Amino acid sequence: MPKLTIDNQSVEVPDGTNVLEAAKRLGIVIPHFCYHEALGAVGACRLCAMKFEDGPVKGIQMACMVTAQEGMVVSTLDAATVEFRAHVIEWLMMNHPHDCPVCDEGGECQLQDMTVAGGHTLRRYRGLKRTYPNQQLGPFIEHEMNRCIQCYRCARTYQDYCGGEDFGVLGTNQRVYFGRFRDGRLESPFSGNLVDVCPTGVFTDKAFRFKSRYWDLEEAPSVCPHCGLGCATIPGGRYRELQRVRAGSNRQTNGFFICDRGRFGYGHAAHAARPRVPLVDGQEVDWTQALAAARARLDKIIAAHGPRSVALLGSSRAGLEANAQLRSLARLLGTDRVVFAAHAPRDWTARTLAAGLGAQASSLDDVRRSDCLLLIGADPLAEAPLLALAVRQAVRGGARAAIIDPRPVALPCATAHLPLAPWRLGQALAALGDNDWSRFEGQEAVFLEGVHEALAGARHPIVIGGADLLGPAGMRQLLELARRLSREDRPCGAMGVLSGPNSYGAALLAGDGPDFEELSNAMITGEVRALICLESDPLTQAADPAHAGLALARLDLLVALDSLPTKTLGHAQIILPTTVTAEGAGCFVNNEGRMQTFMRVLAPGLPLRETGGGGHPPRLFMADTPGAAPRPAWEILAGLQGRAASLAELRDALAREDVRFAGLTALAAESEGQRVADAGLALPATRVEDYVPRDGELALLVCEALFGSEETAFYSAPLDPVRPEPRLILHERDAGRLGVTPGEQVRLHSAVEEVVLPVEIRADSAPGVAILPRVRGSLVEAFVPGVGPQPCRINREVDHA
Amino acid sequence: MNLWRDIKGTVQPFWVTLRNMLRRPVTVRYPEQKRTPPPRYRARIVLTRDPDGGERCVACYLCSAACPVDCISMQAAEAPDGRRHAAWFRINFARCIYCGLCAEACPTLAIQMTPDFAFCKDEPLRLVYEKEDLLINDGGKDREYNFYRHAGIGVVNPRGGNDDEYGPVDVKSNLP
Amino acid sequence: MPEWLITLTLILVKLGLVFFVLLTGAAYLVLAERKLLGRMQLRYGPNRVGPFGLLQPLADAVKLLTKEDFIPAQADKFVFFVAPGLAAVTALLAFAVVPFSPPITLFGREVPMVVCDLNIGVLYFLGLSSLAVYGVALGGWASNSKYALLGGIRGLSQLISYELAMGLSLVPVVLMARSFSLTDIVLAQQSVPFALLNPLAFLIFLVSVAAESKRIPFDLPEAENELVAGFHTEYSGMRFGLFFVGEYINMMILGAMITVFFLGGWLGPWLPPIVWFLLKVLAVAFFFIWVRGTLPRLRYDQLMHFGWKVLIPLSLLNVVVTGAVLLWRQG
Ligand code: SF4
Ligand code: SF4
Ligand code: SF4
Ligand code: SF4
Ligand code: FES
Repeated sequence: MPKLTIDNQSVEVPDGTNVLEAAKRLGIVIPHFCYHEALGAVGACRLCAMKFEDGPVKGIQMACMVTAQEGMVVSTLDAATVEFRAHVIEWLMMNHPHDCPVCDEGGECQLQDMTVAGGHTLRRYRGLKRTYPNQQLGPFIEHEMNRCIQCYRCARTYQDYCGGEDFGVLGTNQRVYFGRFRDGRLESPFSGNLVDVCPTGVFTDKAFRFKSRYWDLEEAPSVCPHCGLGCATIPGGRYRELQRVRAGSNRQTNGFFICDRGRFGYGHAAHAARPRVPLVDGQEVDWTQALAAARARLDKIIAAHGPRSVALLGSSRAGLEANAQLRSLARLLGTDRVVFAAHAPRDWTARTLAAGLGAQASSLDDVRRSDCLLLIGADPLAEAPLLALAVRQAVRGGARAAIIDPRPVALPCATAHLPLAPWRLGQALAALGDNDWSRFEGQEAVFLEGVHEALAGARHPIVIGGADLLGPAGMRQLLELARRLSREDRPCGAMGVLSGPNSYGAALLAGDGPDFEELSNAMITGEVRALICLESDPLTQAADPAHAGLALARLDLLVALDSLPTKTLGHAQIILPTTVTAEGAGCFVNNEGRMQTFMRVLAPGLPLRETGGGGHPPRLFMADTPGAAPRPAWEILAGLQGRAASLAELRDALAREDVRFAGLTALAAESEGQRVADAGLALPATRVEDYVPRDGELALLVCEALFGSEETAFYSAPLDPVRPEPRLILHERDAGRLGVTPGEQVRLHSAVEEVVLPVEIRADSAPGVAILPRVRGSLVEAFVPGVGPQPCRINREVDHA
Repeated sequence: MNLWRDIKGTVQPFWVTLRNMLRRPVTVRYPEQKRTPPPRYRARIVLTRDPDGGERCVACYLCSAACPVDCISMQAAEAPDGRRHAAWFRINFARCIYCGLCAEACPTLAIQMTPDFAFCKDEPLRLVYEKEDLLINDGGKDREYNFYRHAGIGVVNPRGGNDDEYGPVDVKSNLP
Repeated sequence: MPEWLITLTLILVKLGLVFFVLLTGAAYLVLAERKLLGRMQLRYGPNRVGPFGLLQPLADAVKLLTKEDFIPAQADKFVFFVAPGLAAVTALLAFAVVPFSPPITLFGREVPMVVCDLNIGVLYFLGLSSLAVYGVALGGWASNSKYALLGGIRGLSQLISYELAMGLSLVPVVLMARSFSLTDIVLAQQSVPFALLNPLAFLIFLVSVAAESKRIPFDLPEAENELVAGFHTEYSGMRFGLFFVGEYINMMILGAMITVFFLGGWLGPWLPPIVWFLLKVLAVAFFFIWVRGTLPRLRYDQLMHFGWKVLIPLSLLNVVVTGAVLLWRQG
């Protein structure tokens, strides 16, 4: 812990801190561009000059490049350094165009701020300015290269941090250029981070182009609702429209970056078909009428068939408070039929994880600092994109990462991959735990042995499993493996990849209650007559959507609370519109059991863009905001219980009633969140038996896709251009046996549906498995991931014809 | 002496007010007597055009940020040629205090104040001016300025074609 | 006609006359003030309604009557309603004892030109002027607003403080006139008005009266740049109007009092007594307007300092000296 003096104040900092950071700790911020906490220092911009007056280093130096050492005396206000910085900023501005008014960065531009801070006010250079050609970088990023000041932050983010390979530094001399070799969409799913890191307006958000200035945006700390990791985000809205999302920073989870799904998934808030008024039998009514109608009809059904004829379905999309309110509504109605996920196997997997994770819980930050990682049945880029970045950081730091997965899992870093059929993942986990390779042969045994050795010898090993492929039994084995690998001096972490932002919280509430399968059976037999459906869409989420469809059709009453125009709304007699994440406050529990609260960013309402029809807003005085009816789900559910409660009261009640959520009341948005207290739940019994194909048969494995299958992001227009086309992935051996060529149309026969789609042939997937990434809204929508391998048959379409 | 000063200070002003009372008032009796305000008088706001006849306003939101009473609102949009412009632009003159900060803030000289001060209406909505009402076919006070001839992003002239620019450079060349 | 009926009729006629004159007087005093202040500031003042703006008071009355009568939430409604009336009524009542002309003979009867010639007129006047403070204090308190409350409190302490000096400055007058009746006081000034006989008492009375009527430079209870409008911040419409009218009636009363006590009342050569009386009152009113156009507002501490440490000792001294001189002259 060296101690140094900066501007006559002394500060003690951890070893390895640079002087720029040390000064920041004292609240002294001097202009800088190229240094970024996550990217490190390269000394490229030459702006962070400080005068080193005494100690091991002397003279004017770049503070970001000097490691703090004992006895340093540094001045930031020294006349020579101030002048030095003014000169640097002046020459950085030399070629900078005169286009702040038309630049989207204006207002949140580090160059503007630093120019003012650096004291450069008047342009003296009268020569010609250099210009560059721009590139088309796809639907997310706008490129305006003239504005570049060569700080290299973009290249360091894209290449070094995110592992993208199609973008970098080109050119020599006065012509240094940051772009791709030729025009084209940036391939990395983390490309949006260029917008955040570039201190100037070279990279700006294309979906947000010219929409608003930073100072006009309503912003608040929030949590990304698009996967189970719970990255910190800062959504921004204006004129009743959610207009962009930028990365927040939470050192325990995402660090400083987010993925493009999280960044561009906000469009669901302004979906044209979004439910915006309470509807009873298709009639628009006000809230009092809607709640009264819902309550009256429920009471009628209860009177006729008893309280257990009413079931309630929560979801991992709704916040903790809303799900808890659903639970107390169930208690009030006197029914025990309350379920918190529409997908039963996922539900059980999440419950297994929530019950057994305990002290093994590892955050993304633990992953980043780990030195040995095993990913089994998890495809980070598809299921939890930022996990891929965390793994990459670990690998950059020297960690070894092994992947055991039937899919051709590609991470932006060097990993070892063992393609293993899904039904053998359990065996692999057992083998790793027992140190017994007898059920594996050749390469596989060698691989597993190597993994075991690495895990056993590592200082911070973490095993990561995907909920969809492992299932409840596999998740149990994963937790068991982590426990076995733990030693007194060195625990082994575990992480489960869950699908929804609040899967873990929903699982905690579910405890050992029923699951959706039980519920839908009861609906079909007529035991359950009414369903209250909280932000859940069984018709696309349930493990068996067709069965769910039958079940919903038998209901006398379906009350649906939702913010998305889901299919399920089509069956509902009563529709109660809810707010989206950014429009209401709440709490998500992420996949490591971390409670994170989010704040309201903007009030719900029909975007001005729509009420004005593209032109100016209507010239009217209106008492009500159009489209402002949606309310937070917890408020509606409290209303159904005949209570009007504030969020603080609900949190208070929840924290008092359930010790696991004790920290909830004190939790501030923008904090690092807090793990739920250990539940001490019993591990649920696991019941599902995987289908194992016989030799020569193919098993169909449906899985998630980066931009295609996440529910909320599906409704987001900015992601439309990048949605994948449905395709079937075959191992080259199976493809050879079937005689199909890449890109050829094949007919897939399965219990779900018969579809025709093109094939992609890979050498790095598991043989015997046909992999189908789900793409919502396409012909493969009916295929739901997370149900284990299923029997299937594949023909070439030409043969069929 | 202090007391003497105080008494003098109390009595003397009576003479001043009395004297002024007998002088002619300087009031201009407005509706009957009209004065021509000076050209830089700050009253009704207009949006001007550049010398090529294009809309000057690039919808940069600076005027609305500068406005102390928040009476300017707009939405920026992009034209097919890349020009940034206001899809709509609204000034609520019922709120405007004619401070001129918007005109001061405008980087393109688009928003300007005119001496036309007598345009009050009996209905507040009629004081809400839209872009059609604000835009004039003239350059206003500084007729020659065209922002895009200096901005270096190639809307009016091809990229790098303005007087103070060169390029665009060939990034693939490795000549010195 | 029985005697009592005639007396009653006469009193009612005088009452009506006084009422009419006072109210129109107050209204036109407002106009005069605005016009004169305007001229002092090189403006015209109101000149749009009627010739030379002469109908302005009418327009103001219409405006005040048609304005929304706003009652703040949580105000003490009853007190809030009563306060403005109190302010106007106490001002009006004080005029009952003001003699505006010597008694005249009508239908063979001697009619005193005063509504009611009390032999303790001075005390009656002092009593009423202390009651006037209730309008201010109660109005300020009942509004349930911090500005109004502060204004009310200021008014209360200011009025109480300056009342002392005012009362004390009247003692020499009573001593010299040897009567508490206002008519007698006027008659005692046949030769020399008391203003010349005892200029110190005159000055003290003038200053205290300005403070009593809460006029610039003593308008601290409503000091608009710190208290919005002071005790009447929350009042609107005709309730505000009553406060306003009360203030101008008060100004006329005090003008009349100064005339009676120090300027020799209706006494004067050539012109009829009533005209002299009116002229003198108007001159005093002009003086007050002139002061308003000239002097800035005092600070609160200066106000208190001046009242307690300068005016009161001075007036006490004056009582003693006057008494001594009178005793000495009697020999
Ligand atoms: S493009 Fe932006 S981040 Fe990259 S070097 Fe230029 S200024 Fe820096
Ligand atoms: S990784 Fe998941 S939580 Fe993080 S930004 Fe992407 S979708 Fe959102
Ligand atoms: S003149 Fe002042 S108040 Fe009026 S629009 Fe401009 S900045 Fe706003
Ligand atoms: S400051 Fe000028 S260019 Fe910018 S929006 Fe206002 S009028 Fe348009
Ligand atoms: S921040 Fe140190 S040189 Fe750029």
